[in-house]
Amino acid sequence: MPKTDVARRGFDSEIAGRRAECDGGGLVPGTHYVAREEFTGTLTGDYVDHGDPPWRWLLMTDLVRRPDGFQADGVWCESESVFLVDERKSEPRSARSK
Amino acid sequence: MAKDPLRTKFCEMMGIEFPIIAFTHCKDVAVSVINSGGFAVLGEAMHLPDQISADIQWIRDRIDGKPFGIDLVLPASSPMSESIDDMIAKIPERQQKFADEIAAKYDVPAPKSGHDLHNWGGLNQKMARDQLDVLLDEKVPLIASGLGSPAFILDAAHERDMLVFGLIGKTRQAKRQLEAGVDGIIAQGYDAAGHTGAMGTFSIVPEVVSIAGDTPVIAAGGITTGRHLAAALCLGASGVWTGTLWLASRESDIDMIIKERLIESTADDTDYSTCISGMTMRVLSCPWTKEWAKPEAPPPLPPPYQMLLSSAYIQGSNDARRADLMTEAAGQGVGFVTSMKPARQIVFDVVEEALDAFESLTGEPE
Repeated sequence: MPKTDVARRGFDSEIAGRRAECDGGGLVPGTHYVAREEFTGTLTGDYVDHGDPPWRWLLMTDLVRRPDGFQADGVWCESESVFLVDERKSEPRSARSK
Repeated sequence: MAKDPLRTKFCEMMGIEFPIIAFTHCKDVAVSVINSGGFAVLGEAMHLPDQISADIQWIRDRIDGKPFGIDLVLPASSPMSESIDDMIAKIPERQQKFADEIAAKYDVPAPKSGHDLHNWGGLNQKMARDQLDVLLDEKVPLIASGLGSPAFILDAAHERDMLVFGLIGKTRQAKRQLEAGVDGIIAQGYDAAGHTGAMGTFSIVPEVVSIAGDTPVIAAGGITTGRHLAAALCLGASGVWTGTLWLASRESDIDMIIKERLIESTADDTDYSTCISGMTMRVLSCPWTKEWAKPEAPPPLPPPYQMLLSSAYIQGSNDARRADLMTEAAGQGVGFVTSMKPARQIVFDVVEEALDAFESLTGEPE
């Protein structure tokens, strides 16, 4: 795998405005524990592709479901962990429906 | 019985004898299980790339070409990041006061050095990629993704004849990963240690098996005996993913105090709480979890703020080896961890009990 730190920002109009759920989470800082966090919100269409091959992350805002006390206005979600929950448009490549 | 019930798809895939996967952070446990006919996956999510590389070499030097796996945590969501100092400044007075009261009530020692949380940079995308690069360079036989989807590395891994398994807590996550082409799914139930999904092991395993086709499904969560193994295989799993089972093994490098706690504990002695990290996770009960469960306790903070509060307690307890304070992630199967056996003996005991269980069901010798 090419070792690259490149992060490329972009905008995908196909997913902009779509309602979605994110089965998120990650490593608990300072520990070897893993934790899951779930979000429901609206995809802005903004994305970042990290590295090569690209690892795509989508920005979700207008969060109507978030972990208790989660304070940020938005969350970046790994694209394969995003599940569209509306049926407005055809299924995009980077965020498929349930 | 016409067929060896323990000779599963996963055994064929990996060329191993028994469908038992040890998930461990201890290299000695991993090597012992591998050399006993099982399979081991070493958790390396916390480690820097150089250390991962060294650990891989250490294992390879001791297993005579047998296969093994490495587990990483691929983050699946990421809030806007802040500095540690900024985060500490945001801890509300009510929760900080409550944490201070616990420290005073139980005489919790301060950490001997700055607690580990102050050394974290968060597991960001770059860190995860650097870790993955090591696994790809080393051509580790199996990569397990302990959280996020490994879909984006599948092609690179398969080009190197490496297998990729994903650990999931919901059926839709399994469906997504199966569609992407993972080589195996680890279906983890609520019984597990640490953070888990909401579905029980007995529910999620057959549900994932029903959509997995020929892709092997590994059962995880609360599995600590041969009867659990037999049951998992009856549910359609091709093997079991076990963590708590090895924590008190003779080779395990966790503190002897925690080993003794594990041996004494039953499923009732675990707490499922957000008070450690701000995210729900299952750990051995301790004063910290008990105090935060009281009606007068303030609500735990969201991550990472709650971890900032709890890390001083956890590290102070560990540094001073205070048996009355220490805790560790443990699954609900902990009640069957009753002695400090060598890992090799654990493998054989689980196998023997599973075969006995099958025999008792069928009335036929294995």
